[in-house]
Amino acid sequence: MRNTYLWFIQLVTGILIAVLAGIHTVWMHLDAILGFFGVDVGEVTAWQSMIERSRETMWASLYIALLVVVLYHALNGLRNIILELTPSARIGRIVTWTIAAFGIIVFIWSVYVPISLLTK
Amino acid sequence: MRQVQPRRNYLGIGGWVWAGNYKLERYLYILHRVTGLGILLFLLAHLTMTTIFRIQGQDIWEATMSILHNPWFKIGEYLVVVALIYHSLNGLRLIIQELGFLLGKPTPPIYPYQDSLRKKRPWTMAMIGIILVLCLVFFYDFIAGGW
Repeated sequence: MRNTYLWFIQLVTGILIAVLAGIHTVWMHLDAILGFFGVDVGEVTAWQSMIERSRETMWASLYIALLVVVLYHALNGLRNIILELTPSARIGRIVTWTIAAFGIIVFIWSVYVPISLLTK
Repeated sequence: MRQVQPRRNYLGIGGWVWAGNYKLERYLYILHRVTGLGILLFLLAHLTMTTIFRIQGQDIWEATMSILHNPWFKIGEYLVVVALIYHSLNGLRLIIQELGFLLGKPTPPIYPYQDSLRKKRPWTMAMIGIILVLCLVFFYDFIAGGW
Protein backbone atom coordinates (compact mmCIF):
# COMPACT_ATOMS: atom_id res chain seq x y z
CA MET A 1 0.00 0.00 0.00
CA ARG A 2 2.84 2.35 0.86
CA ASN A 3 4.37 1.86 -2.57
CA THR A 4 1.03 2.73 -4.17
CA TYR A 5 1.04 6.09 -2.40
CA LEU A 6 4.70 6.68 -3.29
CA TRP A 7 3.88 5.91 -6.95
CA PHE A 8 0.83 8.18 -6.91
CA ILE A 9 3.00 11.04 -5.57
CA GLN A 10 5.49 10.19 -8.35
CA LEU A 11 2.73 10.87 -10.93
CA VAL A 12 1.58 14.10 -9.29
CA THR A 13 5.13 15.45 -8.90
CA GLY A 14 5.75 14.49 -12.55
CA ILE A 15 2.95 16.78 -13.72
CA LEU A 16 4.11 19.58 -11.40
CA ILE A 17 7.68 19.29 -12.72
CA ALA A 18 6.45 19.43 -16.32
CA VAL A 19 4.84 22.80 -15.48
CA LEU A 20 7.51 24.30 -13.18
CA ALA A 21 10.59 23.01 -15.03
CA GLY A 22 8.82 24.02 -18.25
CA ILE A 23 8.67 27.63 -17.04
CA HIS A 24 12.27 27.45 -15.82
CA THR A 25 13.63 25.93 -19.05
CA VAL A 26 11.72 28.26 -21.37
CA TRP A 27 12.84 31.31 -19.38
CA MET A 28 16.46 30.22 -19.29
CA HIS A 29 16.79 28.99 -22.87
CA LEU A 30 14.19 30.37 -25.24
CA ASP A 31 15.44 33.97 -25.13
CA ALA A 32 15.28 34.44 -28.92
CA ILE A 33 11.73 33.08 -29.20
CA LEU A 34 10.54 34.92 -26.05
CA GLY A 35 12.06 38.06 -27.57
CA PHE A 36 9.97 37.51 -30.68
CA PHE A 37 6.85 37.61 -28.47
CA GLY A 38 8.05 40.82 -26.83
CA VAL A 39 9.40 39.31 -23.59
CA ASP A 40 12.94 40.50 -22.98
CA VAL A 41 14.61 38.18 -20.47
CA GLY A 42 18.04 39.76 -20.95
CA GLU A 43 21.27 37.90 -20.18
CA VAL A 44 19.80 35.39 -17.74
CA THR A 45 23.09 33.95 -16.52
CA ALA A 46 24.67 37.33 -15.76
CA TRP A 47 25.27 37.99 -12.04
CA GLN A 48 23.03 41.07 -11.98
CA SER A 49 20.12 39.29 -13.67
CA MET A 50 20.52 36.25 -11.42
CA ILE A 51 20.68 38.27 -8.20
CA GLU A 52 17.63 40.33 -9.23
CA ARG A 53 15.63 37.14 -9.72
CA SER A 54 16.96 35.82 -6.40
CA ARG A 55 15.52 38.86 -4.59
CA GLU A 56 12.03 38.27 -5.94
CA THR A 57 9.85 36.09 -3.69
CA MET A 58 7.97 34.79 -6.73
CA TRP A 59 11.09 33.30 -8.33
CA ALA A 60 12.45 32.00 -5.01
CA SER A 61 9.13 30.25 -4.27
CA LEU A 62 9.05 28.77 -7.77
CA TYR A 63 12.59 27.41 -7.36
CA ILE A 64 11.91 25.99 -3.90
CA ALA A 65 8.67 24.35 -5.09
CA LEU A 66 10.53 22.92 -8.08
CA LEU A 67 13.29 21.67 -5.79
CA VAL A 68 10.83 19.80 -3.55
CA VAL A 69 9.01 18.03 -6.38
CA VAL A 70 12.14 17.37 -8.44
CA LEU A 71 14.07 15.85 -5.53
CA TYR A 72 11.17 13.58 -4.65
CA HIS A 73 10.56 12.53 -8.26
CA ALA A 74 14.24 11.95 -9.08
CA LEU A 75 15.19 10.09 -5.91
CA ASN A 76 12.02 7.99 -5.82
CA GLY A 77 12.64 7.12 -9.47
CA LEU A 78 16.21 6.09 -8.63
CA ARG A 79 14.92 4.01 -5.72
CA ASN A 80 12.41 2.26 -7.99
CA ILE A 81 15.17 1.37 -10.44
CA ILE A 82 17.46 0.02 -7.71
CA LEU A 83 14.65 -1.95 -6.04
CA GLU A 84 13.83 -3.49 -9.42
CA LEU A 85 17.04 -5.47 -9.03
CA THR A 86 15.12 -7.22 -6.20
CA PRO A 87 17.64 -6.94 -3.40
CA SER A 88 16.80 -8.50 -0.03
CA ALA A 89 14.29 -6.67 2.17
CA ARG A 90 17.13 -5.51 4.41
CA ILE A 91 19.17 -4.02 1.54
CA GLY A 92 15.94 -2.53 0.20
CA ARG A 93 15.42 -0.71 3.49
CA ILE A 94 19.04 0.49 3.53
CA VAL A 95 18.64 1.81 -0.04
CA THR A 96 15.40 3.58 0.89
CA TRP A 97 16.82 5.28 3.99
CA THR A 98 20.13 6.21 2.34
CA ILE A 99 18.28 7.86 -0.54
CA ALA A 100 15.85 9.58 1.86
CA ALA A 101 18.72 10.92 4.01
CA PHE A 102 20.59 12.12 0.91
CA GLY A 103 17.44 13.86 -0.32
CA ILE A 104 16.85 15.61 2.99
CA ILE A 105 20.46 16.86 3.20
CA VAL A 106 20.40 18.13 -0.41
CA PHE A 107 17.01 19.74 0.23
CA ILE A 108 18.10 21.60 3.39
CA TRP A 109 21.26 22.93 1.75
CA SER A 110 19.57 23.85 -1.54
CA VAL A 111 16.70 25.61 0.19
CA TYR A 112 19.04 27.58 2.46
CA VAL A 113 20.79 29.23 -0.51
CA PRO A 114 17.74 30.86 -2.22
CA ILE A 115 16.35 31.95 1.17
CA SER A 116 19.65 33.57 2.19
CA LEU A 117 19.94 35.25 -1.23
CA LEU A 118 16.50 36.88 -0.85
CA THR A 119 17.99 39.63 1.29
CA LYS A 120 21.38 39.93 -0.44
CA MET B 1 7.38 -37.56 -23.98
CA ARG B 2 9.08 -34.44 -25.15
CA GLN B 3 8.33 -31.47 -22.94
CA VAL B 4 7.46 -28.26 -24.74
CA GLN B 5 9.48 -25.53 -23.11
CA PRO B 6 7.67 -22.20 -22.87
CA ARG B 7 9.57 -19.42 -24.56
CA ARG B 8 11.29 -17.33 -21.93
CA ASN B 9 10.25 -13.75 -22.13
CA TYR B 10 12.22 -12.67 -19.10
CA LEU B 11 14.91 -10.32 -20.32
CA GLY B 12 16.55 -9.67 -16.96
CA ILE B 13 19.07 -6.86 -16.75
CA GLY B 14 19.59 -7.14 -20.54
CA GLY B 15 16.05 -5.78 -20.83
CA TRP B 16 17.44 -2.42 -19.77
CA VAL B 17 18.86 -1.98 -23.27
CA TRP B 18 17.33 -4.72 -25.44
CA ALA B 19 13.58 -5.06 -25.90
CA GLY B 20 13.49 -8.65 -27.16
CA ASN B 21 10.08 -9.40 -28.64
CA TYR B 22 8.55 -6.25 -27.25
CA LYS B 23 7.81 -3.37 -29.56
CA LEU B 24 8.27 0.39 -29.73
CA GLU B 25 6.79 1.07 -26.28
CA ARG B 26 9.51 -0.97 -24.60
CA TYR B 27 12.19 1.20 -26.23
CA LEU B 28 10.30 4.30 -25.09
CA TYR B 29 10.43 2.82 -21.58
CA ILE B 30 14.20 2.23 -21.83
CA LEU B 31 14.71 5.76 -23.11
CA HIS B 32 12.50 7.07 -20.28
CA ARG B 33 14.78 5.39 -17.77
CA VAL B 34 18.02 6.53 -19.43
CA THR B 35 16.82 10.13 -19.73
CA GLY B 36 15.60 10.01 -16.11
CA LEU B 37 19.02 8.93 -14.84
CA GLY B 38 20.71 11.50 -17.09
CA ILE B 39 18.51 14.28 -15.76
CA LEU B 40 19.26 13.14 -12.19
CA LEU B 41 23.00 13.46 -12.87
CA PHE B 42 22.45 16.89 -14.42
CA LEU B 43 20.30 17.90 -11.45
CA LEU B 44 23.13 17.15 -9.01
CA ALA B 45 25.62 19.16 -11.10
CA HIS B 46 23.07 21.95 -11.54
CA LEU B 47 22.34 22.15 -7.82
CA THR B 48 26.07 22.24 -7.04
CA MET B 49 26.48 25.14 -9.45
CA THR B 50 23.44 27.10 -8.29
CA THR B 51 24.21 26.69 -4.58
CA ILE B 52 27.93 26.28 -3.81
CA PHE B 53 29.16 28.51 -6.63
CA ARG B 54 26.29 31.01 -6.41
CA ILE B 55 26.59 31.81 -2.72
CA GLN B 56 30.31 32.68 -2.94
CA GLY B 57 29.69 35.98 -4.70
CA GLN B 58 30.02 37.59 -8.09
CA ASP B 59 33.60 36.61 -8.99
CA ILE B 60 33.15 32.89 -8.43
CA TRP B 61 29.76 32.98 -10.22
CA GLU B 62 31.19 34.73 -13.27
CA ALA B 63 34.19 32.39 -13.39
CA THR B 64 31.82 29.39 -13.29
CA MET B 65 29.63 30.90 -16.00
CA SER B 66 32.61 31.53 -18.27
CA ILE B 67 33.48 27.82 -18.02
CA LEU B 68 29.87 26.82 -18.71
CA HIS B 69 29.68 28.99 -21.82
CA ASN B 70 32.12 26.62 -23.49
CA PRO B 71 30.49 25.17 -26.69
CA TRP B 72 30.82 21.59 -25.35
CA PHE B 73 28.79 22.51 -22.28
CA LYS B 74 26.24 24.15 -24.59
CA ILE B 75 25.87 20.90 -26.52
CA GLY B 76 25.46 19.07 -23.21
CA GLU B 77 22.87 21.61 -22.14
CA TYR B 78 20.92 21.02 -25.34
CA LEU B 79 21.00 17.27 -24.72
CA VAL B 80 19.60 17.88 -21.22
CA VAL B 81 16.78 19.95 -22.75
CA VAL B 82 16.04 17.12 -25.23
CA ALA B 83 16.04 14.60 -22.35
CA LEU B 84 13.69 16.84 -20.36
CA ILE B 85 11.28 17.24 -23.30
CA TYR B 86 11.28 13.50 -23.93
CA HIS B 87 10.95 12.50 -20.28
CA SER B 88 8.10 14.93 -19.58
CA LEU B 89 6.04 14.15 -22.69
CA ASN B 90 6.53 10.39 -22.44
CA GLY B 91 5.76 10.66 -18.72
CA LEU B 92 2.56 12.52 -19.56
CA ARG B 93 1.60 9.73 -21.98
CA LEU B 94 2.28 7.12 -19.29
CA ILE B 95 0.16 9.00 -16.73
CA ILE B 96 -2.72 9.46 -19.19
CA GLN B 97 -2.65 5.78 -20.13
CA GLU B 98 -2.22 4.58 -16.55
CA LEU B 99 -5.42 6.46 -15.69
CA GLY B 100 -7.13 4.56 -18.51
CA PHE B 101 -7.47 7.27 -21.15
CA LEU B 102 -6.59 6.96 -24.87
CA LEU B 103 -6.79 3.18 -24.69
CA GLY B 104 -9.99 2.87 -26.71
CA LYS B 105 -13.19 1.12 -25.71
CA PRO B 106 -12.87 -2.42 -24.43
CA THR B 107 -14.01 -4.96 -27.03
CA PRO B 108 -15.15 -8.57 -26.55
CA PRO B 109 -12.41 -11.10 -27.33
CA ILE B 110 -13.83 -12.23 -30.67
CA TYR B 111 -11.62 -12.99 -33.65
CA PRO B 112 -9.99 -10.94 -35.14
CA TYR B 113 -8.79 -9.74 -31.76
CA GLN B 114 -8.04 -6.09 -31.21
CA ASP B 115 -5.25 -5.26 -28.82
CA SER B 116 -5.00 -1.99 -26.98
CA LEU B 117 -1.54 -1.39 -28.45
CA ARG B 118 -3.04 -0.78 -31.89
CA LYS B 119 -5.48 1.74 -30.43
CA LYS B 120 -2.99 3.77 -28.47
CA ARG B 121 -0.17 3.64 -31.03
CA PRO B 122 -1.42 6.70 -33.04
CA TRP B 123 -1.32 8.76 -29.83
CA THR B 124 2.19 7.51 -29.17
CA MET B 125 3.26 8.57 -32.66
CA ALA B 126 1.61 11.98 -32.10
CA MET B 127 3.64 12.33 -28.89
CA ILE B 128 6.87 11.51 -30.74
CA GLY B 129 5.91 14.15 -33.30
CA ILE B 130 5.41 16.80 -30.60
CA ILE B 131 8.75 15.85 -29.02
CA LEU B 132 10.54 16.30 -32.35
CA VAL B 133 8.89 19.69 -32.95
CA LEU B 134 9.84 20.93 -29.46
CA CYS B 135 13.41 19.67 -29.93
CA LEU B 136 13.62 21.64 -33.18
CA VAL B 137 12.22 24.78 -31.50
CA PHE B 138 14.89 24.59 -28.79
CA PHE B 139 17.54 23.77 -31.39
CA TYR B 140 16.60 26.90 -33.29
CA ASP B 141 16.92 28.96 -30.13
CA PHE B 142 20.28 27.44 -29.21
CA ILE B 143 21.58 28.34 -32.67
CA ALA B 144 19.92 31.79 -32.69
CA GLY B 145 21.23 32.60 -29.22
CA GLY B 146 24.77 31.84 -30.33
CA TRP B 147 26.91 29.06 -28.92
